[in-house]
Amino acid sequence: MKCKKYMNTEQNKDNKTKTRLLDNEPVGSSVQVVRVMGEGAFRQRLLEMGFVRGAKVTVLKNAPLQDPVEYMIMGSHISLRHSEAAKVEVTDKDAEFCDLEDAFNGTVETTVAGVDPMSDNVLRVALIGNPNCGKTSLFNNVTGAKEKVGNYGGVTVDSKEGWFSVGGRKVQLVDLPGTYSLTEYSPEEMYVRTYIRDHHPDAILNIVDAGNLERNLYLTTQIMDMNIPLVVALNMWDELEKSGDKLDIEMLSRLLGARMVPMTAYNGHGVKEVLEATMAAIDESENETRHHNVNYGTLIEENIKQVSEMCPQLDRYTVLKIIENDQHALHLIDGQSNADQVKSTAAELRQAIERDYNDDIVSIITDLKYGFVRGALAEVLTPNPDRATGETKPGYSLDRLLTNRWLALPILLVLMWLMFEATFTLGAYPQEWIENGIGWIGEWIGKAMPEGILRDLIVDGIIGGVGGVLVFLPQILILFFFISLLEDSGYMARAAFIVDRIMHRVGLHGKSFIPYLIGFGCGVPAIMATRTLENHRDRIVTILTVPFMSCSARLPAYLLLVAAFFTAKQGLILMSIYLIGILVAALTAIVLSKTILKHDKTQFVMELPPYRKPTARNAIIHMWSKGKQYLQKMATIILAASIIVWALGYFPRHEGQTPQEQIENSYMGMMGKAIEPVVAPLGFNWQMGVSVLTGAAAKEIVVSTMGVLYTGEADATEESASLKEKLQTSTKPNGEPVFNPIVAYSFMLFILLYFPCIAALAAIKREAGTKWMVFEIFYTTVVAWLVSFIFYQIAILL
Amino acid sequence: MTTSTIIQTIVALGIVAVALVYVLRRVFKTSRGQGDCGCGCGKNCKCKNKPGKEY
Repeated sequence: MKCKKYMNTEQNKDNKTKTRLLDNEPVGSSVQVVRVMGEGAFRQRLLEMGFVRGAKVTVLKNAPLQDPVEYMIMGSHISLRHSEAAKVEVTDKDAEFCDLEDAFNGTVETTVAGVDPMSDNVLRVALIGNPNCGKTSLFNNVTGAKEKVGNYGGVTVDSKEGWFSVGGRKVQLVDLPGTYSLTEYSPEEMYVRTYIRDHHPDAILNIVDAGNLERNLYLTTQIMDMNIPLVVALNMWDELEKSGDKLDIEMLSRLLGARMVPMTAYNGHGVKEVLEATMAAIDESENETRHHNVNYGTLIEENIKQVSEMCPQLDRYTVLKIIENDQHALHLIDGQSNADQVKSTAAELRQAIERDYNDDIVSIITDLKYGFVRGALAEVLTPNPDRATGETKPGYSLDRLLTNRWLALPILLVLMWLMFEATFTLGAYPQEWIENGIGWIGEWIGKAMPEGILRDLIVDGIIGGVGGVLVFLPQILILFFFISLLEDSGYMARAAFIVDRIMHRVGLHGKSFIPYLIGFGCGVPAIMATRTLENHRDRIVTILTVPFMSCSARLPAYLLLVAAFFTAKQGLILMSIYLIGILVAALTAIVLSKTILKHDKTQFVMELPPYRKPTARNAIIHMWSKGKQYLQKMATIILAASIIVWALGYFPRHEGQTPQEQIENSYMGMMGKAIEPVVAPLGFNWQMGVSVLTGAAAKEIVVSTMGVLYTGEADATEESASLKEKLQTSTKPNGEPVFNPIVAYSFMLFILLYFPCIAALAAIKREAGTKWMVFEIFYTTVVAWLVSFIFYQIAILL
Repeated sequence: MTTSTIIQTIVALGIVAVALVYVLRRVFKTSRGQGDCGCGCGKNCKCKNKPGKEY
């Protein structure tokens, strides 16, 4: 190795190599990384994303609000805030100093004894790769599952298991969260590491983005050290071919000592070959196998050997981690008799390496791994000669428009508006057909069945309740269609990039915007999606504020009330409800992050994926899966709740009373009257109070409860009237209408803000703990009451 | 009370009882999530048993 001695800043000054901070570089400039300052998770993340010595960085653009900044490094687009870029020391792109290619020492071989892959009766293959490299696409393709995929990192937040068969042998495939490396700094990295350690998969199927090998193969170098049979699937092979780059797969396979197979997961090309290669690797492992590992040079290799001899049970990866002072790796030897001796020896060796390289151990190992990858790629990858150096790869041209300084925010707002307007207007047509159909069925059953309790249950309870919610199915499908387009196109990460500065102001991370957007669909996956946030307090603040993003289950209530009481600008009114939710979430985040969840600002290191054309198939699968869930909910919890609400409104029976008197004197009426004083200052009657209570089980039940309760108010001529018409004509005992636009808006505000459904509360409990779940119940309800109260009282005065 | 009324009452009350049991079970067993493969509940419930493809 020509250049293992590293220069620090002082030496740079002596050598007159001008170094400066990346933060000060103007847009359009290209520089070379000298080092990343600071310590801990942020530094580690930057190193593993390619900010290593000698790497070329191009400053692409500032976000519309000037922060963060988009950089291109190793063909990837990464966003960093100015304050974070100020921690990266850079120099001229042509400055001569140690290049990473000089660190290429080839591989060393480790011999591993044969294992019986069927020792635990299950053949298990783990899918590992960088975020957004296509692991879940392959998983879905192979197992027939329909796990969520999206064009941004962090869609998979825990492991998913599925099965496939090759040549009659049944294999379990495990989809693990995307990770850039296997260090100990972020939850997903630890998750993957722990999984491999505890479950010992029979083979690792490493998915890499063929268009971004340099960064993706860094993780491969870590997996190589684990001495587990490894197959590398070169995914998105079609994009590599389209780009004009040429890759010598056979040579790369020889250099890394692992089978490499080209594949395009989304259309299934090459998948069979990948699986066959995986099975061949498993079969080989039954005999003594030689694994290739990165050669770190004489000094480090000697040190690895020394520690390995003291801990023969550990694999090379863990031994290296012990030398790196990785706390989790050190815990693994705690029970060992010579643990103290191993730790002190590792510390001495670490100091010796750091002295020799004049850098810290983490940087040294990262630089050497990247050096190995770069050296290998120099041999096997021929870039398209027609593409100018530094030119961005295909798939980013839309950024000129979508993250444009002046247009980005207006476009984001227009897209949001378009989503809600289309949900409202396009959905109205099929909604009317379903409404007519349900009305007809109710009428027919009413006439066909003899009078009695069962007929009342079916017509008023089941059809009135479930039918009231079922009519909104088209709108739910349209909303999820739009969310699917945003997720698959790569716009989600751009939205986070555009709004990061605003999010930062309220004490949150730009990445929190992704759970927020998912929260418009459903709070449960949105709460799960907060796992991509590295900082625990960021996660808690996001989890507690996600329920203010109005989920699709609340949509039926808004659609009903907006259609009934607002004649103009219905799309805007609907959007205003969502915006108020965002505003309350922002205010809550400010208060929480400045009081009980106070913490230092967190970093914004995020990858901006290339834009990809959303496929109709994926959008329809996503829509269908959500539609199916909606219908399943309808046939289960909403049906059951409607029946109970009906029973509570039907009993006890009083002879000779009008339907309205009967329902007022029912158990439901009694409950409603009991809570009426609490909700009356908000402009609500007891039926509305009861509706929000029953909505605890699922938010759609707010509408189904109203459907049941207002059935009693309909007279003979209104028997087939829709719920909307019933609400419009509903009157108080003094003859005044119950609803008007002010009451309807106050009611919508309450539905928007009050406590989330039981499924979301369970998710909060799982992710944040019981304490925060209880806090959420009280906090959201108090906020909902206050906001509705203030709005209603001010509006009636005006 | 006619036979029809009695039958209707028994059936209706039976339905209400089943609904009540279902809701109570659901409320007290929330941690199992929605349970469909790919529903996003994070529980991976039904995926585990899907047979998958044959190669």
